[in-house]
Amino acid sequence: MQTIGRPVPRKEGRDKVTGQARYVDDLIFPEMLYGATVRSAVARGRIKKISFEGNIPWDEFTIVTAKDIPGENCVALILLDQPYLADEFINHPEEPILLLAHPDKHLLEEARRNVQLEIEPLPAIFTLEDSLNRKEIIWGEDNLFKSYKVEKGNVDEVWQSADFIIEGEYETGAQEQLYIENNGVIAIASPEDGVTVWGSMQCPYYVHKALLKLFGLPEDKIRVVQVETGGGFGGKEEYPSMIAGHAALLSWKSGRPVKIVYDRAEDMASTTKRHPSWTKHRTAVSRDGKLLGMEIDFVIDGGAYATLSAVVLSRGTIHAAGPYSCPNVRIKSRAVATNAPPHGEERFAESNKTSRQKKGMGFASFMHGAGFTGSGEKYLESVVGAEATADGRVRILAASTEIGQGTNTIFAQIAAEALRLDYDSIEVAKPDTGAVPNSGPTVASRTCMIVGKLVESAVLGLKQTLSGSGLLKENYTQEDFRQACRSYIEQHGALKSYSKYKAPPGINWDDEKYEGDAYGAYAWAVYVAEVTIDTVTYEARVDDFVAVQEVGKVIHPILAAGQIEGGVAQAIGYTLFENVVWKDGRMINNQMTNYIIPTAADIPPIRVFFEENPYAYGPAGAKGIGELPMDGAAPAILNAIENATGASINHIPLMPESLIEALGGESG
Amino acid sequence: MFKTFGIRWKEMNSFTYKRAANEAEAIREVADNRSAKFLAGGTNLIDLMKMNVQQPSELVDINRLALKKIESIPTGLRIGALATNSEVANNKLVQEGFPVLSEALLAGASPQLRNMATVGGNLLQRTRCYYFMDTAFPCNKRVPGSGCPAIPGFNRIHAILGASEHCIATHPSDMCVALAALDAVIRVEGPKGARSIAITDFHRLPGDTPEIDTNLQPDELIVSVDLPSSAFAKRSGYLKIRDRAQYAFALVSVAAALDIKNGRIEAARIALGGVAHKPWRSTEAEKVLTGAQSNAQTFKAAAEAALRGAVPQNHNAFKVELAKRAIVRILNDVSGRRVGGAA
Ligand SMILES: Cc1cc2nc3c(=O)[nH]c(=O)nc-3n(C[C@H](O)[C@H](O)[C@H](O)COP(=O)(O)OP(=O)(O)OC[C@H]3O[C@@H](n4cnc5c(N)ncnc54)[C@H](O)[C@@H]3O)c2cc1C
Ligand code: SF4
Repeated sequence: MQTIGRPVPRKEGRDKVTGQARYVDDLIFPEMLYGATVRSAVARGRIKKISFEGNIPWDEFTIVTAKDIPGENCVALILLDQPYLADEFINHPEEPILLLAHPDKHLLEEARRNVQLEIEPLPAIFTLEDSLNRKEIIWGEDNLFKSYKVEKGNVDEVWQSADFIIEGEYETGAQEQLYIENNGVIAIASPEDGVTVWGSMQCPYYVHKALLKLFGLPEDKIRVVQVETGGGFGGKEEYPSMIAGHAALLSWKSGRPVKIVYDRAEDMASTTKRHPSWTKHRTAVSRDGKLLGMEIDFVIDGGAYATLSAVVLSRGTIHAAGPYSCPNVRIKSRAVATNAPPHGEERFAESNKTSRQKKGMGFASFMHGAGFTGSGEKYLESVVGAEATADGRVRILAASTEIGQGTNTIFAQIAAEALRLDYDSIEVAKPDTGAVPNSGPTVASRTCMIVGKLVESAVLGLKQTLSGSGLLKENYTQEDFRQACRSYIEQHGALKSYSKYKAPPGINWDDEKYEGDAYGAYAWAVYVAEVTIDTVTYEARVDDFVAVQEVGKVIHPILAAGQIEGGVAQAIGYTLFENVVWKDGRMINNQMTNYIIPTAADIPPIRVFFEENPYAYGPAGAKGIGELPMDGAAPAILNAIENATGASINHIPLMPESLIEALGGESG
Repeated sequence: MFKTFGIRWKEMNSFTYKRAANEAEAIREVADNRSAKFLAGGTNLIDLMKMNVQQPSELVDINRLALKKIESIPTGLRIGALATNSEVANNKLVQEGFPVLSEALLAGASPQLRNMATVGGNLLQRTRCYYFMDTAFPCNKRVPGSGCPAIPGFNRIHAILGASEHCIATHPSDMCVALAALDAVIRVEGPKGARSIAITDFHRLPGDTPEIDTNLQPDELIVSVDLPSSAFAKRSGYLKIRDRAQYAFALVSVAAALDIKNGRIEAARIALGGVAHKPWRSTEAEKVLTGAQSNAQTFKAAAEAALRGAVPQNHNAFKVELAKRAIVRILNDVSGRRVGGAA
């Protein structure tokens, strides 16, 4: 029976609808303590003194500082620059300094308010400009986390011969992901049994890697389990490693399970957001509409620590020139440090400036590479396993997380289709580093195309084993498969198969020159937005939105359309509503009453169309989809606004106050 | 030196609950206990209790009192204090005689909230200043003398008119802006008897006592709101500008009412929301309008007059321009409406 391309029920849908699904905050362990984080209010400084004040029974509390860390005090990700707990120096507001645990949540909160921090402030920088000008050196020798340069042809020569030169500077703001479930974990840790963490997260093996360093334990002493996760959008990529480490440190010291769940305000203020960015484009065009050359300078604000900025920057660099053919290109990109909480990945968006040369209202054409950039997938070496049981059920073993986007469902569809079995006979194991191999992080639009392909080949491995041992004939039924599994397991024991990532043929990348095939495949799209601008009240409304994309074969039409609709809605928020307000490096509108996200009434009908063009090396022909819709909506909307008003707007979010400025001369 | 985060859902404060059988009993209960509060729809009070912003020791439930009626009286319309925002908005007499009130109510909150929220509660709803609502911050309105973090802080939603150095909060109600344009009269009863308060005297400017929102005494019960009939009330409308289409308070809003005869404005009412500590009736704009021709030039002059004294904060200078444009827009709209057959 065919399952690909059909809207089968979600694997975890029934549990979610009936309230059976258990999230971190639903879990209560015996003897459990609650943990809280004491954070810095200043952006940069030196800790002089910590004192414990007030009428608080401090002897009942477990208190952890940097001195209590058994291994290394750094969150291991790409660079080892970010501490779990500030030891002496503070580099951004909300930086964790000290941890508290107590069985009584309310007393814990009182206690947190009564920890007095004496911090000697140091000069801090908050803007890209100050960082680039090295007003203060706050990171490394030059405030630069990472830079790239990509060259093709000879850009310097095109300007003279060009018929037109188009120049512009573009700014995008930070964006809070606002997943429905805030971050949270529970940890049990002791020198004897090692560390186990249950949490809301996108990337269990990132957490695993970070805890290895933090505790200096061998791999098998650290176990990370993802529990039901209420959304991520890139916001639960790196920060869960921080929270998991904090809960584990408290548990290690207290000998009891420790739960840390952030409330909305803490989550918004202290966890990662989309990087703010500044871009300068200079484009040479010929009279007949050909692109002759592009020079692009692109800077992102990474906050105080490197986290994943290098990864975001490399993706931005490669996508900067858009999907156009252009003989001469120079792209320079930099990720710089400021004294703000680190910014992390969020479904990536890159305004597609070249679309400004196209006629037509609110139109953007763009692409998004699926999978890790460059050699990323090669280094990741992701592995997926499959296991068959004696009753003919197949279980997929992968660390890729279901965060609401449908991982479990599409994996089961891919497996069912490859084996020609019922969708219901496929199970997907819970991501648990103690039980599943590392299929890599759930990011970068890689889960369907890259990991899905591994799922396909792992389950085909099972079939091969069965046919190889003569237990399964060419044309088999569900029942034949069940009997084959039973016989195999009786004769040989467990039936498992693993599959490891190999780059598709012809896909090569040069890390040195930053050249080659950055991605195995791209998803392509054209988005059209129709807007109404009220020139009296400055209200901008998106009235209609058409999203056409080619993402290879569509595995699950409802989930795929949902990804696009959700992504476009999020991008409308990014373009017109969501304004992170900073003061001295702190987000000061960290409440849902004043960080405005769109409601259903602000979202137009989003008409989604798929053009199916199967990709030879994707599972059943599929490519990636997750981040795609974020890329095109902002440029399409801004172009529509330009078309409607003549005002060319180069920064988002576009609030009514910016429109007032842009349309200043017009009368009511 | 350090900050705690946002709203803390602390252990519940205990309080007693009493359902009042009649008005006298309700007033007596609250008069006898300085920290008792009337409970109507609860959509504001209960939230503030959960966030620990208010801690009444007693709630006196007034929902069973016979104060729900909306009825014609010789001078106009009488709306009971317990009529819900939905009932008022959808009432025929209101829609026909006082359309600005219906429009203002429908621009606020959500259908679920409007079904619970009452006229009395709406009049007394508290500011949405984020610092007021977050007990981790000082706030002169919540704790007199503790300071106002909004002035140096993020103040996009704060006042541009009538603020003081102690408080720059705005009154968030849409309904009250309409009432200000309709010359509403608030009828109240207290231990010392009944009295009537004109809507413009009901709410206060912050001055040096921002902790006092209104001139109502804590033990006075609002029983009704009276709307005098007038020619301008029929030709009235409301425009609300906000950051999203639903579920957001006004950045600025305008209630406008005009009596136009042969192209000449005989009487006018203009009130602004989202700009001051009280619904801001602009007699300056009304002066410009009264006696003038009903045209775009007049409307612009009125808008300029209304905002002449505006003093913006760091993050809300745009509101001045926005308010002017909103005034012009709603005057254009209202002047062009068909009212009882005549335009
Ligand atoms: C999410 C949300 C969005 C909202 N959006 C808007 C909006 O866009 N526009 C808008 O205008 N409003 C909005 N509101 C506010 C809403 O209109 C008020 O909460 C509501 O009107 C309060 O009425 P209530 O009957 O529930 O009052 P309650 O919460 O019961 O009472 C509020 C106060 O009034 C006192 N009180 C009540 N009745 C009387 C009486 N008869 N006599 C004396 N004292 C009395 C109470 O003691 C209490 O102090 C919103 C509210 C929420 C929660
Ligand atoms: S504006 Fe008023 S309510 Fe807001 S913080 Fe200042 S004093 Fe408090």
